Amino acid sequence: MAQIKMALDGADKDLSAGYMMWYRFSRNPAAVIGTLIVLSAVICALLAPWITPRPQDVGAVVNFRARHLPPDAQHWFGTDKVGRDIFSRAIFGLRISLLLVIGVLGISVPIGTVLGLVAGYAGGWTERLITGLTNVMLAMPPLVMALAVSNLLQPTLMNAMIAITLLWWTWHARLIYAVSKSVASEDYIEAARIAGAGPLHILFREILPNCISVISVKTTLDAAFVILFGATLSFLGFGVKPPTPDLGSMVADGRQFMPDFWWEVLCPGAVILYVTLGFNLLGDGLRDMFDMEG
Amino acid sequence: MSDPLLKVEGLDVLFTAYGQTRQVLRDISFTVGAGERVALIGETGSGKSVTAKAILGTLPRNATVSAGRIEVEGRNVLDLPRSARDALKGQAFSLIMQDPLSSFNPVFKIGSHLDDVLRYADRRAGVRASTSERRARIAAVLRRVQLADPERVMNAYPSELSGGMRQRVLIGLALLHQPKLLIADEPGTALDVTTQDEILNLINTLVAEEGMALLMITHNLGVVRKVADRVVVMRHGDIVETGPCTQILHAPAHDYTKGLLDAVPPLYGARVQTQELSEKPAIVSANALYKEFGRGARRFQAVRDVTVTLREGEIFGLAGESGSGKTTVARMMMGLARPTTGTVTVEGTPNPGRPLAQIVYQNPGTSLNPKRTVKQSLSLPLKRAGLAGAARDARLAELMGLVRLPVSYLAKYPHELSGGQKQRVAIARALAADPKVLILDEPTAALDVSVQKTVIELLLQLRAELGLTYFMISHDLSLMRNFCSRLAIMLRGEIVEEGPTPQVFAAPQHPYTRALIAAIPVVTDAEERLKPAVTPEERQAFLVTTTD
Repeated sequence: MAQIKMALDGADKDLSAGYMMWYRFSRNPAAVIGTLIVLSAVICALLAPWITPRPQDVGAVVNFRARHLPPDAQHWFGTDKVGRDIFSRAIFGLRISLLLVIGVLGISVPIGTVLGLVAGYAGGWTERLITGLTNVMLAMPPLVMALAVSNLLQPTLMNAMIAITLLWWTWHARLIYAVSKSVASEDYIEAARIAGAGPLHILFREILPNCISVISVKTTLDAAFVILFGATLSFLGFGVKPPTPDLGSMVADGRQFMPDFWWEVLCPGAVILYVTLGFNLLGDGLRDMFDMEG
Repeated sequence: MSDPLLKVEGLDVLFTAYGQTRQVLRDISFTVGAGERVALIGETGSGKSVTAKAILGTLPRNATVSAGRIEVEGRNVLDLPRSARDALKGQAFSLIMQDPLSSFNPVFKIGSHLDDVLRYADRRAGVRASTSERRARIAAVLRRVQLADPERVMNAYPSELSGGMRQRVLIGLALLHQPKLLIADEPGTALDVTTQDEILNLINTLVAEEGMALLMITHNLGVVRKVADRVVVMRHGDIVETGPCTQILHAPAHDYTKGLLDAVPPLYGARVQTQELSEKPAIVSANALYKEFGRGARRFQAVRDVTVTLREGEIFGLAGESGSGKTTVARMMMGLARPTTGTVTVEGTPNPGRPLAQIVYQNPGTSLNPKRTVKQSLSLPLKRAGLAGAARDARLAELMGLVRLPVSYLAKYPHELSGGQKQRVAIARALAADPKVLILDEPTAALDVSVQKTVIELLLQLRAELGLTYFMISHDLSLMRNFCSRLAIMLRGEIVEEGPTPQVFAAPQHPYTRALIAAIPVVTDAEERLKPAVTPEERQAFLVTTTD
């Protein structure tokens, strides 16, 4: 086995690492589809005010003459109980979801990464303290915890974000801890230490680059979970306040009219599915690209 | 002569990776007759393992056989359907794998491993046998490979056996069905020399007694001399030379083979280099070092009463097999680990900002951070020494010059370099801090012999240019004979013999030293005769018991 691997390594020598990764990625249909989905969702969210047919429906508009209209050429996803265009609202809802993703992951990923790195490298009491805290946090049911936090505070996008962030860093901390611990025992870390590197250099210059692939895959897959989690909170009424369009609360609103006005649940639900699927496929594609196990 | 047992003819194998196709084997032709012992020899990437896999039919999915025939007893196996091909395994030929640990699933007992293999082979052959019958047959095979207590071995988990015992079980596994051809992929390479020696003796005995043919895949020319009648030399997927063993080893026709033989460090004879002893004062001396690991009942002494002195300008070699404590001693002497008792004295005053010692690790693949360029790796110690800007760039260029690498390599990542180049970068990094001593932890163990030769030459030149002192840890005594000026032999945490290298080899005092030297595979018969004589009793006394 080793010999064949080596023969292959020799053959790959003139191919750059970037080319090999791109090759793996571009030959993976799921990864390409995932990228396209995520890109389309991001573009839609960015350009929402200009590409939606009825951007004014996002606010507290009431148009009872047009209520509960089934999907047609004018209203692709139909209209809701007060006559607002569901397609327009769903696109704006996508904005909220992606904002939530950026907010939650933008805070929890760095925190989790730093704590994980430190715990894996430092060892001793620091390690025990951080892993202990992580384990305690992981033992709490996430939904209950989030409900408790949003119950204490006002149900706003900001507070939903805080609630989710409070939980999310633990997963990253745990994952990065495992990677950091295994990297920390490599010869090159000891070599760096003997060469006179300080702990900050070792953490962020030597260990962190070896975690980047894991972090990017985990973050991408997490984006899907954060969207689902945010939608769940809104569905239960602990998320974004009513006139603001949120995919979760749109599903909750439409629920009372099932099954007659099915589109009011199914269409926002399909958007959640679409963007979540996109992030999952992209995450899997990235994992294959980085050639990771599992 | 009728059809040979195995005939490979014009074999071409292609590998496809990342949209590119490469030819890994080119027009490979050789034969193995019944009862003949043939060695396939070559360095990394020569295609010797691919050849074995093509014969066995276990090539990876991205490989294709584009031309050629592989005949087993006159039948082209490449034309056979999958099931017929699988049936050949275990009957016509068997494989002894390289790595005795990863070949076993750690959660199964050895007995159930062997039983599984036997049960499926029986089913293919249409034989019905009870569990107890199979167990009896397994016990018989284990006895054949000189495992004296088959019951205990069968009830053991892989981790409970020593490396030598696991290798024996693997050989037993290959023997379960009395194959006509035994294919051995670097057996014993991962083991200590003395154990490897025993394994080779065992294979030789079995091949002779069972009348099997042997196809030995190895990179070690000394091993070839021991176990082969005929040798096939491979390089970059081509066969460069084929011939009887003695002819290849004593009168090679091809330049590549000559170079390969020349790169093997000789143990005895005119080609042996002797490094001069240093008369300079000591740099570091260790006095009565003890090191204990673990606590309570699990405590054990890794190092016992070790007293050594490292003199300036010498190459001190600390030899021993795995687990003898040699690395621990080196780490304690360089202040990387604390002795449990005993003292380490550093003579003279070390310059501020100039560390006493740096380490060159065994495996350059793991000692360089894969995510950092050569420049980044080398800059670290320079930054520490306060160099910046143009001065740092100048020093970087100087370092690359010292290890004979082009300056353009500074921008490369480790995976873009070959093993030898990586080790040069690792040496440059160790030199960057301008140390007085380099600890060489088996610096060439992961390299091919020809690469080893260039790295060793580089180290000798660097010592002359920079006035360095080397502290080398290794188990490769033939290399140490030529590289070290003074040698100490460690056994189970203690130094059993110490002296100038030529003296240790000419008249080894301790029986363990004699056993170690005797076990080294050498290339010529002349060297074999010069080895010290070892009685079987002496061997038994110092070898890790593999047959209990």
